Amino acid sequence: MARKLMKGNEAIGEAAIRAGCHLFFGYPITPQNELPEYMSKRLPEVDGVFVQAESEVSAINMVYGAAGTGSRVMTSSSSPGISLKQEGISYIAGAELPCVIVNIVRGGPGLGGIQPAQSDYFQSTKGGGHGDYRLIVLAPSTVQEMVDLVQEAFDLADKYRNPVMVLGDGMLGQMMEPVEFKEREKLDFDHSSWATVGIGDRETPNIVNSLYLDPQELEDHNIKLQKKYDEITKNEIRYDTYNCDDADIILVAYGTTARIVQDVIPMAAEQGIKLGLIKPITLWPFPYDVFKEYSDSAKAFLSVEMSMGQMVEDVKLAVNGKKPVHFYGRSGGMIPTPEGILGKVNEILGGLK
Amino acid sequence: MAKRISYPLFDEDRCKGCELCTTVCPKNIVVMSDRINAKGYYVATVTDRDECIGCKFCAQICPDVVIEIHREEREE
Repeated sequence: MARKLMKGNEAIGEAAIRAGCHLFFGYPITPQNELPEYMSKRLPEVDGVFVQAESEVSAINMVYGAAGTGSRVMTSSSSPGISLKQEGISYIAGAELPCVIVNIVRGGPGLGGIQPAQSDYFQSTKGGGHGDYRLIVLAPSTVQEMVDLVQEAFDLADKYRNPVMVLGDGMLGQMMEPVEFKEREKLDFDHSSWATVGIGDRETPNIVNSLYLDPQELEDHNIKLQKKYDEITKNEIRYDTYNCDDADIILVAYGTTARIVQDVIPMAAEQGIKLGLIKPITLWPFPYDVFKEYSDSAKAFLSVEMSMGQMVEDVKLAVNGKKPVHFYGRSGGMIPTPEGILGKVNEILGGLK
Repeated sequence: MAKRISYPLFDEDRCKGCELCTTVCPKNIVVMSDRINAKGYYVATVTDRDECIGCKFCAQICPDVVIEIHREEREE
């Protein structure tokens, strides 16, 4: 298929529709407004349903209800709005329902700003809502990757009956790039054992629930969830590496920041500095094991983020004390510059001598 | 004698403040303003319209089709 120039937010919408998502519930917030706007125009054309809810809390609970029928459903928001959705996300994870949540991150805390940031890493990967649950968190770094990962997100959600978060940022949402919508194999998922679509010829009705008043029953449920999360960790870790084999310093970055780091690598090479990049694509499950391959050869690791230092904690866990782990970040909507990152690299190398 | 003049017009509510236009103006007259549009972004603007040479660089680089270049014939 021909490539088309699209804005990131609109491309997410089209990708979702092509993945068979015909239900969208949301509430506007910059910098992701083009996504609900696109859905409000496109969904009626495919006999879908678009509802602008009265709040984020309402939108996520509409998603909860729709997901209970086994239908593909999506919501989107940006950081403060995603905070409001946390209760619903925990319920959906507890009730083991599939859905896709898009977070086009902006600077925080509080209302913060409307410019791109990556400061929702903790919220996305370490919980956000209450209870022992996990989201599968996918972090695209181009509009094309965003399209591919949104389509993949729906398959992962159905496969594991788990909410999946696509974590972009204001820059990816607003950026225009050529995209191609690839034909994907249509997978068949059997929802009949849990989806609430009428009793049919079953003896008992399916019930969607996240309440277990018997402590033993709740522990059993948690153990079952944990086994599922272990299975996801075993099967679904995704990452890219560039130039890592003989790198002196390995930079770790995802999303927009990974693109900036890719510009830094040739700049550093001109100065005779060998840099590599590990780019996690799944932020949860985090690709801890790939760090083992390089923790002997590299002299140090540098986590580059648009935050005050969040993913760096996972990098430290992964490197496990074998090599120094450094951090460079900008926040509040400020974007790291290649020169700034290279300056940090030189500072680290100065210290290593 | 008629003189041809050029100037840019900004559809400010479409602007997302990406600042790309400010990087290509050969006259350095396209800059970020301190105005915020309906979306909440600081918008690009022109400081001295008389300096515009109508090269269209800013209009061509704008990903969101914010900028139009207008040309007029004006009597001296």
